[in-house]
Amino acid sequence: MTEIMTLQNVSVHFPVRGALPFLRKGEIQAVSDVSLSIHRGEIFGIVGESGCGKTTLASAMVGMIKPTAGQVLFEGVDLNRLPRDEFKKMRRRMQMIFQDPFSSLNPRFNVYQIVSEPMLIRGEDDEETMKARVVELLELVGLSSQDLYRYPSDFSGGQRQRLGIARAISLNPSFLVCDEPVSALDVSIHAQILNLLLELQEKLNLTYVFISHNLADVKKMCDRLAVMYLGKVMEAGNSDKIFANPMHPYTQALIAAILDIDFSEEREIIVLPGDTPSPINPPPGCRFWQRCPKAMRGCREVPPEYVEVEPDHFVACHLVNGFPDQELPEGYDQPMVPREKVPGR
Amino acid sequence: MEQVLKLRNLKVVFPTDYGLIRAVEGVDLDIFHRECVALVGESGCGKSVTSQAVMRLLESPPALIRVDALEFDGRDLTQCTEQEMQEIRGRDMAMIFQDAMTSLNPVMTVGRQIDEMYRRHNGDSKKEAREKTVKALELIGIPEPRERANSFPHQLSGGMRQRVLLAMAFACMPKLIIADEPTTALDVTIQAQVLKTLRGMQRGCGTSLLLVTHDLSVVASIADRVYVMYAGRIVEKAPVKDLFTSPHHPYTVGLMAAVPRLADEKKQFTQIPGTVPSPVNKPSGCYFHPRCQYATERCRQEMPRLKPTGKDREVRCFHPLSAGGEQQ
Repeated sequence: MTEIMTLQNVSVHFPVRGALPFLRKGEIQAVSDVSLSIHRGEIFGIVGESGCGKTTLASAMVGMIKPTAGQVLFEGVDLNRLPRDEFKKMRRRMQMIFQDPFSSLNPRFNVYQIVSEPMLIRGEDDEETMKARVVELLELVGLSSQDLYRYPSDFSGGQRQRLGIARAISLNPSFLVCDEPVSALDVSIHAQILNLLLELQEKLNLTYVFISHNLADVKKMCDRLAVMYLGKVMEAGNSDKIFANPMHPYTQALIAAILDIDFSEEREIIVLPGDTPSPINPPPGCRFWQRCPKAMRGCREVPPEYVEVEPDHFVACHLVNGFPDQELPEGYDQPMVPREKVPGR
Repeated sequence: MEQVLKLRNLKVVFPTDYGLIRAVEGVDLDIFHRECVALVGESGCGKSVTSQAVMRLLESPPALIRVDALEFDGRDLTQCTEQEMQEIRGRDMAMIFQDAMTSLNPVMTVGRQIDEMYRRHNGDSKKEAREKTVKALELIGIPEPRERANSFPHQLSGGMRQRVLLAMAFACMPKLIIADEPTTALDVTIQAQVLKTLRGMQRGCGTSLLLVTHDLSVVASIADRVYVMYAGRIVEKAPVKDLFTSPHHPYTVGLMAAVPRLADEKKQFTQIPGTVPSPVNKPSGCYFHPRCQYATERCRQEMPRLKPTGKDREVRCFHPLSAGGEQQ
């Protein structure tokens, strides 16, 4: 399998400015030092809680945000070094499906205008070809040619999301970023949209980046995945391996926090203390230490390395990888019990 | 068991330019002392309207409300004046909303907002109220409660804000708390914390809880009894364990199958075909029949009644399913 998208040490930082524009208060480290590779034809999941940088990372993948550091390679080409028109050509092959089907469709455009707009921008000007293509796309996503001149307000949430999908695949992309495509939809519609995405992937040979906070969806959809926390990848790799053997305490907690409707077996629920800390000037050590049930003293100062522990399974945690041989604070491997008081947020 | 809430045949209609929206069509609800009852359904099924009608928060007009009985703690709420309702709300019956950011006042410290509860309903002085507030915040699991009480809502995280709402709802030890999607806006790990707190507080204070939600997994983790709503009607009523081990209504079965589980291996997602009917234009007969795989001619013609099928169980279906998902 070849790699379609490679991220090399990508960081995206946003400056936080004070009252005066030149006074820098700090930086929001939305994504810091992320390296991932996405293979052609797979569904790659990105999981994490709000504010962990999932969407920022996805925006960086399709070139909507320029990373502060690192490289984004799409089919081996660095997106941010391309001249503008080359980039535009490349960009056609990567599309995005957005979370909110209500705000991502122009309410004043009818279905035909919405779905054909990407073709129009590409330079297509023949009405007949476009119309034929739009009808074909609508049928592909489970709508019909009768809907051609209706407006977004005539559709339900699920149907709107189908429109968003039709628009995203109108230029035959090979790489599709789905940013929480179902979290705004009702449970019974949820499965319909996910099934449609799976079906399209098979038909059109697509590669998906599937962003979600729902681990159960991710487990069913994805071949490989990355778990993010506060801008860093905590664990990544083959989905089956991660679910069979989650090594990072955060992944374990996330899996345990999924509420189940199964009454047949009792599961242990790990309740993590505290909240996600602010990504403005995060602590130097492991970003998870304040909430980690297994944190050691050293976790606070020494950032964990991102190590491949088994083929296609990466973890960044001192518990798994141990501490590097450098100057370590005394008692670095002592567990933090009783928990030391977390400094104010 | 002492009955806290008795609601009989609630009907709510909103007249619009496009026709009548029959939001709720004859809902019965019983909540007993110390019980957690869940009202589950998708958006637009009338669950929030029902909960607001219980608190008499629906403005009429535009809403047209008809109810045969609305008794709370032995009092007939339909006969209460607005002034009496204001006394009851907050003291005997409290509500927790979904979005903590919009239900808290952004220009008042959270402490003052909780103080208000004690000052309004108990007639406490400022000082007494603040002491109680700090105690309440501590109980709900907020670190450094005295300092936090002086924070404004925007200075707190989503989980903390939701906790502040919990503290406010439990402030006067009400008989009944209505929680409308209390954890929907939260992250999974925070959701687990808040649910644990909510359940703990509910048990500790001996309150009854009406949990309005669309999330079956939340229901499974904290409810005692469940009402499933679809298009303005209750379609199934059961104790939580019975509902999840053997759902009777095809809609409940579909909803449960649509929740992905970690134990599943298959790549396909189980789906319910079609969409929720428009509230202006509901189908004939059973409202679920266009989406139901077991629908017969009778389902198309006639609305089934809510029929008892076992202890504490009722289902609105001509062809209820038995334990194995087979038709009876």
